[in-house]
Amino acid sequence: MGKKAEILEGLSAAAPALRRYSRALCAGAGHALSDELVQSALQSIGARIRAKELRPADLQEARIEAYAALTAMAAKRLVEAQRPASRHPPIVHGLAELSFDDRAALLLASLEGLGYDTAARVVGAPRETLLARLMRARAALGAVGLPPADAETGARRAASHLRIVK
Amino acid sequence: MSSSGTIGEADLHALVDGELDAERRRKVEDHLLTHPKDAALVEGWRRQNAALRAAFEPVALEMLPLSLKDAAVRTAGPQQGPIETGAIHWGRPGASRPSLRLDEIRASRRRQAAISTLLTLLAGAAVAGLAALVVVGRNDAPHAPITMAPTQSYAGRAGLAYATYVSDARPVEIDISRRGELVAWLDERVGFSRPPDLAALGLRLIGGRVTPGVAAPAGLLIYERADGARVALYFERAETTAAPSAPRAGRDVSAIEWRAGGFAFVLIGPLPQEDMQAAAERAATAIAATEGEKR
Repeated sequence: MGKKAEILEGLSAAAPALRRYSRALCAGAGHALSDELVQSALQSIGARIRAKELRPADLQEARIEAYAALTAMAAKRLVEAQRPASRHPPIVHGLAELSFDDRAALLLASLEGLGYDTAARVVGAPRETLLARLMRARAALGAVGLPPADAETGARRAASHLRIVK
Repeated sequence: MSSSGTIGEADLHALVDGELDAERRRKVEDHLLTHPKDAALVEGWRRQNAALRAAFEPVALEMLPLSLKDAAVRTAGPQQGPIETGAIHWGRPGASRPSLRLDEIRASRRRQAAISTLLTLLAGAAVAGLAALVVVGRNDAPHAPITMAPTQSYAGRAGLAYATYVSDARPVEIDISRRGELVAWLDERVGFSRPPDLAALGLRLIGGRVTPGVAAPAGLLIYERADGARVALYFERAETTAAPSAPRAGRDVSAIEWRAGGFAFVLIGPLPQEDMQAAAERAATAIAATEGEKR
C-alpha cells in the first residue's frame, strides 16, 4: 500500500493550493465556507481512495480529483452565498460577478495554472467549453483599474546589499 | 488552433496561459507587435492574473488550520457511510441475504477503520520519532544547522508575520492616521521608527504593528497598492551572529533581506520580482538617508 499512502500524503501537501483556489472560488463568501469545502473535498477523495472506489494512477490524478470534488461541492454550496464585503479588492468583486462555471474556468487556468486539458478534466467539460468559459470570464472581468502586470522596465541596477532570499 | 497564419482570440489566451509551443508563441508575439488592440487585450489579461495572484496567493502561504491538516488521511465525519449503532433490528431474520451483505459491508468498513487508525498511529509515531531525532541531534551537535526551523531566520519570521497579518481584516494595529503614535510605539519597542516612503512606487503605508521577532520584538509596516496588493516591511535589531536561511515562502511571494544601522530588514510581498526589488531599493535608500540625518 506504499503508493496509496504516498498519494494520500501528497494530497495533504496539496491543501494550501486547494485552499487558495477555494478562497478565490468563494469570491468573498467567507473563509469558513471556503475552508470547509477544502476539508470536505480532501476527506471525500481520501475516503474514496482508501475504499478503492478511486484508483488514481499518480498524485497528479488524485489532485485533479480533489479539485473536481471541490468544484462540484462549491457549485452546490455557493448558490446562495453572500456577496463580498467592501473591504475586498476590486478583483474579488469582479470574480463574484462571474457565473460559477466561468469563475472556475478562469481560476483553474490562471490562478492555479493547471493547463487547459487538466482544467477541462476538473470541470468535466470538453476543452472547447472550458476555453469558451475562460474567454467569457476574462471579457467580463475587464482590466480597468488593475495595475500593470510587468514592472516598468528600466535599467535598474540591483544594489549589492539587497539579498533576494526567495 | 491551426498552424496557418491567422491568429484568433484563442491563441491570445493560450499565450497568456503558456499553452503554446515555442514556434507558435513567437508567431503570436510577432502578431502582437503589429496589432496593438490584441496586445492591449493580452496585457489586460495579464493584469487580471497578477491581481488574482496578489489577492489569493497569501492564502496558500498561511498556516493550515487544524481542520485541513491531513484531511485526506483522516476518516470523514460520521455522516458518511452506513450507521453502525449495533442496535438489534427486530424486524429482520437473522441470516437473510441482505443482512449478510450488510454484515460484509460493515466488516469492510471496520477493516478500513482499523487500517486508518493504524495509519494515524504510524503517522503519530513518525512525527514523534522525527521530533526525538531533532532533539537528539541538537544534543549531539549543538552547532548543527537546524533546517526544520525556518522561523529562526528574519526572512522566515517576516514570512510568518506576513501570512498572519496581511490578509487579516485588521492588518495593522495602528493605522497611518495616527502616525505619531505608531512611530513612538515602534521606536520604544523595536528601536527603529522611520517608515520609508514608497509612494513613488504606488505603495501607500497603511500602518504598522509590533510582532514577535527572532530574538526581540520586531516591527511590521504594511504598504498597500491601489489594487489591494500588500507588501510588508519587517525589521528587527539584528544579531551579529545570526545567519539567515531560506524563508518559508510560497510561489510568487518574494522576500528581500538587507541589513542597515544594526537592523535586519525584510520586504515581503506578492508583487513581481522587479517591483519588489525596486521597492526594497527605495526603502533601503530612504532608511539609509534618515540614518544619515540622525547622525
